[in-house]
Amino acid sequence: MKIGLEIHVSLPTKSKLFCSCSNSATEPNSAICEVCMGLPGSKPVLNKGALTVAKRVAEALNMKINERTSFVRKVYFYPDLPKSYQITQLDEPIGTNGHLDIDGKQIHLRRIQLEEDPAKLVRGDDYTLIDFNRSGKPLVEIITEPDIASEDELRSFIAELRSILYYCDIEINEEMKTDLNISGIDSENGERVEVKNITGIAGLTGALRYEITRQSELARKGAKVERETRSYNEAEMRTVSMRKKESDEEYGLIYDADLTEYDLSKVKIEKPIIASRVAHEYASKYGFDPKILLELIMLSKESLLLIDASKGKYPAQAITAGIEYLKKYDKINISKDSFNSLLNLVEKKGMVNKETLEKIEKGEKVESYSGISDEELERTIESMINEKSILLNEYEKNKKVFNFIVGKVAKEKNLDPRYVSEKLNKVLSEKFGLV
Amino acid sequence: MSSINEFYSKEKKESYYETLVKELSSLNKELNAFSTINESINSGYPFSAKDNICVKGFESTASSRILAGYKPAFSATSINKLLSKDFGFLGKTVMDEFGFGSFGVNCETPARNPFNPEYVAGGSSSGAAVAASIMKYHLAIAESTGGSISTPAAFCGVVGFTPTYGTVSRYGLIDYANSLDKIGIISRYAEDIREAFSVIRGEDPLDSTSVGKVPEEKRKDKIIILKEAMEHAEEKVRSSFAGLIGKLENMGYRVEEKSFEPISKAVSIYYIISMAEASTNLAKYTGFKYGYQGEDFTKGYNAFFTEARNKFGEETKRRIILGTFVRGTSVKSKYYGKALRARALIIDGMNKLLGDGYILTPTMPITTPKFTEVKELTPLQSYASDILTIPPNLCGFPHISFPYDYVGGMPLGAQLVSSHFNDNAVIGFAEQWEKQFEYKFRYNLGSL
Ligand SMILES: [Zn+2]
Repeated sequence: MKIGLEIHVSLPTKSKLFCSCSNSATEPNSAICEVCMGLPGSKPVLNKGALTVAKRVAEALNMKINERTSFVRKVYFYPDLPKSYQITQLDEPIGTNGHLDIDGKQIHLRRIQLEEDPAKLVRGDDYTLIDFNRSGKPLVEIITEPDIASEDELRSFIAELRSILYYCDIEINEEMKTDLNISGIDSENGERVEVKNITGIAGLTGALRYEITRQSELARKGAKVERETRSYNEAEMRTVSMRKKESDEEYGLIYDADLTEYDLSKVKIEKPIIASRVAHEYASKYGFDPKILLELIMLSKESLLLIDASKGKYPAQAITAGIEYLKKYDKINISKDSFNSLLNLVEKKGMVNKETLEKIEKGEKVESYSGISDEELERTIESMINEKSILLNEYEKNKKVFNFIVGKVAKEKNLDPRYVSEKLNKVLSEKFGLV
Repeated sequence: MSSINEFYSKEKKESYYETLVKELSSLNKELNAFSTINESINSGYPFSAKDNICVKGFESTASSRILAGYKPAFSATSINKLLSKDFGFLGKTVMDEFGFGSFGVNCETPARNPFNPEYVAGGSSSGAAVAASIMKYHLAIAESTGGSISTPAAFCGVVGFTPTYGTVSRYGLIDYANSLDKIGIISRYAEDIREAFSVIRGEDPLDSTSVGKVPEEKRKDKIIILKEAMEHAEEKVRSSFAGLIGKLENMGYRVEEKSFEPISKAVSIYYIISMAEASTNLAKYTGFKYGYQGEDFTKGYNAFFTEARNKFGEETKRRIILGTFVRGTSVKSKYYGKALRARALIIDGMNKLLGDGYILTPTMPITTPKFTEVKELTPLQSYASDILTIPPNLCGFPHISFPYDYVGGMPLGAQLVSSHFNDNAVIGFAEQWEKQFEYKFRYNLGSL
């Protein structure tokens, strides 16, 4: 099976791609002007901020970045397209020939291009409304080679892409629009099928699954998979045929002479952060679990800053536990100093809860148990079990008793309950022969 | 003293503008130069705008039925610059629909030649040239893609200046072909053009292709005559032009004939590129949000815009169809792609040719035709008549057309071309010419 993707993601610039209208207005048709409405006499002016973001994404995707970039007009007639052409790129896109690495496999990326979003159509029963706020919003289109071979690879690819875009300040969850190309589900019998306009990540996997089933079914019946364009109906979780494809669509693309060539080599960008690369590097250098670390740094950019500031100074487990506490109590915006105090507490196996975190945030001293040795703690637990020997019989029936002991010891000694439960397990198996 | 300074220095009656509007409205019934006359003008040196240049609140239709009723909410940058100085807006001038034409006949009410209304005014800035010709004090802001300033200026006996591409902002210009369109000026005298050009030129943040470079004035003493250009000119034009050459030699210019064979390809290159670009620019007219409004919203979108696009004139439809064809995937490299490469070669060749001189040609290879004669022309014959105005337009070179003779009561124009940004040199040349040659005018509306 060969899967190729054309992924459109919105760029987080302040204004639209070719005018100064806001890129984040919500009230319909409130951020519009003569340029994004395509009124006669208006001319586009490129938002250079979009070049910066797009170049950074291209760099992060290991693309060969073009020195000069230019735009073309793609002509087609549709009510959401006020000029009846979309400004996009052809011969000189932002970048070409990139790749992403997933589970030791390279997915090749053909190109990344900058283009404008059409307006949004809102369908009613017997009418359609148009919201031109979306008209002219900046998009990048990322086009892959058909290198993805399974649903698992598709998931890994999207996860990797998502983490890269996230560190370029781009979020792709619901808004991402994808065209999916699939061929060869059943050996070489069958043409390429394109599924257009899939929204979101869940939609993408849904559309793929439906196509795999549909095309396998056709193959089983001995029918041929025809070359066609389909669309995905998210509510029904199935794809439907839009048109049989005899040849490629005719857009008559020509150079847009309202815009000039732009020198990309002069566009300054911050070095992109590749989250998975950071995770692997930190794993080998500082002993993190790369999977867990990747999850943590995808939580928020702040978590990476905190990890960065503490790596090497504290053990990986303590840092991981610290971030998890912050996530649990929604304190990920904590300062680096406070995070260090937290790690100090975690290291001493102290109790961390909302109360202690708030104290840490305020810079107050947190009373934490310190100085108890492993042996001492084990003895405390053992004597507690002996004291309440009845409970021991109960233990086999009731897990609550276990939690009771952990809670009591943790509270009395101001200790991390996880540490206490670890020791309790040890005592139970070693001294009482219970597993 | 320029007409502009003369106008400012002279005492004017309170009723000056009222009288001008009245006289103009009356003559306009015969000559059709204006599509809109601004009756509320009450100050400033009067200027007009070609109908494809947006003026806030005034119908701007590029003389197309599909834009009927379109009143832009913004003005072109060049118009704003004039309004911020002491210039007054007098009205919009008639043109070939969207600039598609060399004779001014491709619209509903074509402008007529002020020397003889049986003759065409030339296009596409037909009304602009007529306006400059009939008023004592007037600046006509016009636009040229392939000769739309030079041609009507020559036919109407006025001076038409097309600047280096990009020196005047195109913001607010209803596009014909974006890589070729240039806003310029038609007026009676070159010295008024010099003044107006200094007002409207300059970099504009709203037009990415605009440039702020200050125009140069590198005067040359050599004039190059193109052998191929003269071969295309009809006999009457050739003999009259020989007289001009003699006068220029007497003025101290060295005249040299040179050959530039690729010029014969310029017409094809120009029409391929301009039609390809035009067909994309005109795609937006779907009868949907402005201008002509479709009414039957129960139709599918294709049927809806097809009905609206029937409002285009015949020449406009022809250019949309040809332009769409030449950029189609299967033929794009054969036509559009090749034309782009050939254009680069022509620019290179003409630049070398211009090295140490000006190029001078008759503006049109023919004398001014009558309406009845133009009717007989096939589209290809019409296109071929642009052979002399197309090369400088294709290259974006500054050029100026000035009257140099009158044959059978009709004016003849010659066109001087120089290299990029040497705009003030071509203006200076025409200033020098008009100091010793008296232009003729049939009307003098608004004289003081
Ligand atoms: Zn806008």
